[in-house]
Formats: sequence, structure tokens, C-alpha cells
Amino acid sequence: MEELIQQLKEQIIEVLNLEDVTPADIDNDAPLFGEGLGLDSIDALELIVMMEKEYGIKLKNPAEGKEIFKSINVMAQYVNEHRTK
Amino acid sequence: MGKRVAKVIAHHAFTPLADGSHENYLRVKAGQTAVQRHAAEEWDLGEDFMAGIIATPIASPRATNMALHSIRQALSQLSGPLPPADTLLVVSTTKGNVDKIDDAADDELRLGAMADDMARQLGLTQQPLVVSNACTSGVCAQIVAQRLLMTGRCHYVIVCGVEAQSRFIVSGFQSFHALSPEHCRPFSSNRVGLNVGEAAATIIYKVSEATDVAADEWVLHAGAIRNDANHISGPSRIGEGSFRALRAVMHDATPDELAFVSVHGTATPYNDEMESIAIDRAGLIGVPVGSLKGYYGHTMGAAGVLETILSMEAVDDGTVLATLGYDGQLGVSHPVSIAAENRTTDKRSFVKLISGFGGCNAAIRMTKGGAL
Amino acid sequence: MTHLGKIVITPRGVELNSQVYPTSQIGDALLTACYRSCHADYPKFFKMDPLCRLGFIASELLLQSQDEERFIPREDRAVVLASCNGCLHTDRHYASTIHAGDNYFPSPAVFVYTLPNIVTGEIAIRNKYLGESSMYIVEDGLTEEELVQRLAELTFQDPVTTSAIIGWVDYHDGDHYNAILYLIQK
Repeated sequence: MEELIQQLKEQIIEVLNLEDVTPADIDNDAPLFGEGLGLDSIDALELIVMMEKEYGIKLKNPAEGKEIFKSINVMAQYVNEHRTK
Repeated sequence: MGKRVAKVIAHHAFTPLADGSHENYLRVKAGQTAVQRHAAEEWDLGEDFMAGIIATPIASPRATNMALHSIRQALSQLSGPLPPADTLLVVSTTKGNVDKIDDAADDELRLGAMADDMARQLGLTQQPLVVSNACTSGVCAQIVAQRLLMTGRCHYVIVCGVEAQSRFIVSGFQSFHALSPEHCRPFSSNRVGLNVGEAAATIIYKVSEATDVAADEWVLHAGAIRNDANHISGPSRIGEGSFRALRAVMHDATPDELAFVSVHGTATPYNDEMESIAIDRAGLIGVPVGSLKGYYGHTMGAAGVLETILSMEAVDDGTVLATLGYDGQLGVSHPVSIAAENRTTDKRSFVKLISGFGGCNAAIRMTKGGAL
Repeated sequence: MTHLGKIVITPRGVELNSQVYPTSQIGDALLTACYRSCHADYPKFFKMDPLCRLGFIASELLLQSQDEERFIPREDRAVVLASCNGCLHTDRHYASTIHAGDNYFPSPAVFVYTLPNIVTGEIAIRNKYLGESSMYIVEDGLTEEELVQRLAELTFQDPVTTSAIIGWVDYHDGDHYNAILYLIQK
């Protein structure tokens, strides 16, 4: 799990172009959206693409993303349970 | 010299429904739609999609040839040719010939090169201009036309809005989860997204003395472009830019002069809600409101021109067109006057409102006859 | 009309109000270096496509050189730009995300930049400009003076508009781009 968490952080930083953020800056339990990383609706859509591309997880509805992208821990848990690659 | 105005002297619409402004209007008045289901495999996409696509074959490059057809049809309504050195072409498009991106060089894809090619084929000698303000382009292009005429840079402006649908555009909207899997339902409580469409639409404007406008002639009376300064892909939640554009075009008019406001009405949850707020803030809540997206889908760069033409036709016919797809359950927070059936009107003026990515919003107020 | 300021950016350097603006980098890295040196503190910069980065840096340096209060919502200032290549560079980038078969992952974050006017929107958002924003696409041909004159002539017909960022932003690739922006008072 630790490895997946680290990998997710690196992937998020890369696909969302979070130039001045390091994996250590992202708190495992902190909300990904809202304050903090300053992510917006386009970032949420881009994370949906990332889930499919990297883990074979297809989210039909952006609203599902809201739950899954709550925090790195929640996201890692979801990926762990649903990944097909 | 007295006050000068930008007067409409010809127009033409080429869409999946019909070839010709009036022919399109009659189809729309009868409640027909161009939007159909297309299988994902048709364009090698991830999902099926709903779109209004012109079925008759059009030679490549499609957007160029759709536009040229519409412009030539509009020109043919005039009593003689326009003076080439005194006529400017203003093209409104968002993606031009992007359907060729995998096998075309930059020289064929640049929007300016597309416009130059069109001008050359039409025998025009002035360098054309492309207005590319996302989905507001068609209204912005008409505002630009009016301004060009007022500065005296030319006497005639051909405004052509064109959008050819493609795998490029549909895949992008799918990635935004902005498309409705069914016919779009503008302003309805159960609306879930938009349909896309394609069209070419042309309006030819001429500079004219205000006193030289006949009772049945249309004038672009006022236009404004405003930004939300909020977000590049989502509209302002309080309709800021649309409100300001409406306020600007209504500064010397009263709401009771308007037959209707032809809104953007894409049927995405945010767009329609935002527009209801903007209309209320602009004091236009009592004016009939309508969206034409249910008939054609969102024709992007063509939308502002196409929807202006249909609105002129509707007022000419004393009609406020129904909002096709509206199910009677108002799904926006401000009580805009929207209807599923055609209504009658005796007013001689309307507002066309539109908004798009990049936070842009635009509105024009069109009036019929010289008196207003 | 009064020209309040002017900036020129090419892959080889920056000239701000007729003075050389010091940069240590060239090409795409020049824009990032300018972002760092001007302390804009606007992480969205890194999400922008190259055309928007170019327009953003040009407008940012130009506005920083002015003695005026910033970030107050205002409707009286327009952002009106012209370009030759528009967003063609980003169109090609987006097309690379929709290859058929196993490599089909359309990117919303790239797609949104496949509209040439997004750069005007980015500048409006950054500066809270609620006025007109417009993007014109033309082939090369007009001189700088002609272009600015014509854009100003169009822009200042809006009675609310009293000043404008007007000019040219064009991005072909990291070795071929330029921005020429003026801040003009009516």
C-alpha cells in the first residue's frame, strides 16, 4: 500500500503539472480538492483519465470521482480494490 | 452625414435539416431535430454520441466547403456582385478543418489560411479575419462586422460561422463528460448535457444610413463581449459576463421591446442555470426565453450566426420558437419564461446571448425596421 | 490613444518598455524563468499550454511595469489579441492523446487549450478583467503598427472600454514564438 500511495502521488503531480509540489507535501488524509493543492474541475476530469490509463478503472460519472478523490488514502484503497492493470 | 447602422442584406443557413434560412426555419417551427444517435465505431470513439451531422457528402476540407456553399447561396440573393475591394470576410469558427489534423500540414490547418483560401475562392481582395472566441465566436463575429462597418474600413462584411464535427471535437467533449446520451433537454430539471452539431451560416451586413432602413430590414443595434474572469471551462456561477453583456446591449432599450432572448441554452447543468441568473440580473426575467440547441445540437463556431438567422426568421413570422427538449419542469433557480410550444409575438426586436470556454460571453440586440 | 507600455518576447529574450528584461534562459525555458523571476506566485501557470504561458508572462511583466493597482474587478479594460498559429501546437498535442486503439485517452486538460481564445481568458481571470476578451486569427502580413492600429480601432468602439491589452501572441514551437503586447489607454 505504501508503494501505491507513493506512486499515486507521483502520478498526480505529473499529470496535473503540480510543478512546485513534492510527494512529501501531499498529506495522505488531507482533501485533494478545495484548499491545499488548489485543484479544480478540470483536474478532477484528468484524474478520471489517469485512473483508466494507469489502473484500468473506468469511472462513468464524474460524481463518483468526488468520493474517490477525497484523499490519497481513499484513492489508494479504491485503486487497490478495483484495478485491472 | 447622419447616423450609420449595420444592416442585414442577405443570409443563408446550411444545416443537416435544410439548405436555406427559411427552409431551416420551417423545419424548426415544425419541431424537427437534426440530432441523431451515432455509434462509437463511426468515429472510433469510446462511447456512442448524439449529434447533428450533415448527411450529404461534402468535399474535403469540409468546413471550408460548407462555408463557401453557404456564402455563395447568400451572395446569390443579392442583385449583383459585391465590390471585391470593399468587402471583408469575417469567419467564425473554433476548429476549422481540424478533422484533417492527422494528415494535413500546418498550412492547411491554420484558421487564417482557411479564411484566406475562402476569400481567394470568392474573389475578395481584402485580407479576411477569423474570430475565434470559442462558442461565442458567431455573435462576436457579427459585433466585429458592425465595428468594421462603423469605422468605414469597408462597406460590406460577409460573416460566416462554420463548424464541421469531428472525432477531435466529440472525443474532447466526451472527456469533459459534457455530452448528453440522449436528446438534450435545455432548462429542464433532468438535463444532463449537450449534443453537438455542425452547420455553416452566413449573414451579409452593409453599412447604411439609419434613415435608409426599410420596415422589413434587420439592423444589428448593439453588441457587447464580456469575460467572467472566473474559470477557463466553467461559467461564472452568478452569470457575471452574460449579465454584463446583456446590460450593455440593453442600455438604450426596455425589456418590453424584445420578442425574446435567444439564449445559449446548451442543456449542461451549469450553463442553463447561469443564464437564468444573468437574465434575472439584467431585468429580463419577464421576456420569453428560448434555446435552439434541441434542433441542431451545439454548432459551436456556427451557433451565433445560425441562431441569429433563425431568430430573425421567427420574428419575421411573428413567432417565439419553442425550446425543443424542454419538458415543462423548469430546472433552473430563476423563473425564466421558457416554453415547449411555439408562441406568437408582435415585437420587432430580440437579443441573442451566447457564452463559451475561456469565460467569454457575448450578446447582440437586433431590431427590425428603421424606427427603433 | 496613449501607449502606456509595451513588451516583446521571443525565444531569445524579452524587451520591456524598450529595456532588456534580464533572462538566463532561451526557448520554452525562458517563459518558466520569467515566471520565477517575476514572482507571480500563480501555480496555474504550469497547467497552461505554451500559447497561454506566453500570453500570461507577456501580460504579467507588462502589468507589473505599470503604476496601477491590480486584481480589482474592472469592466473597462479589454484583452484583445491576434495570432497566426493560434492553438495549432496544442491541437497536435491533443490529437496525440486520441490515437486509435490502446492509446486512446483523450485529455480534458489538453482539450481545453485547443481554443485560441483561452489565453485571453487566462489573462482576464488572473487580473479580474470583466471587460471584452477577443482573439483574432490572421495570417502574417500586417505590420506591427497596422495590426495594433486595427485592433485598437475595433476594441475602443465599445463605450465601456477605456484601456486594453492589445497585441500579438503566436506560438509555433519552442524555437519559434513571439509576443508583442501593448497597454493602451483610449
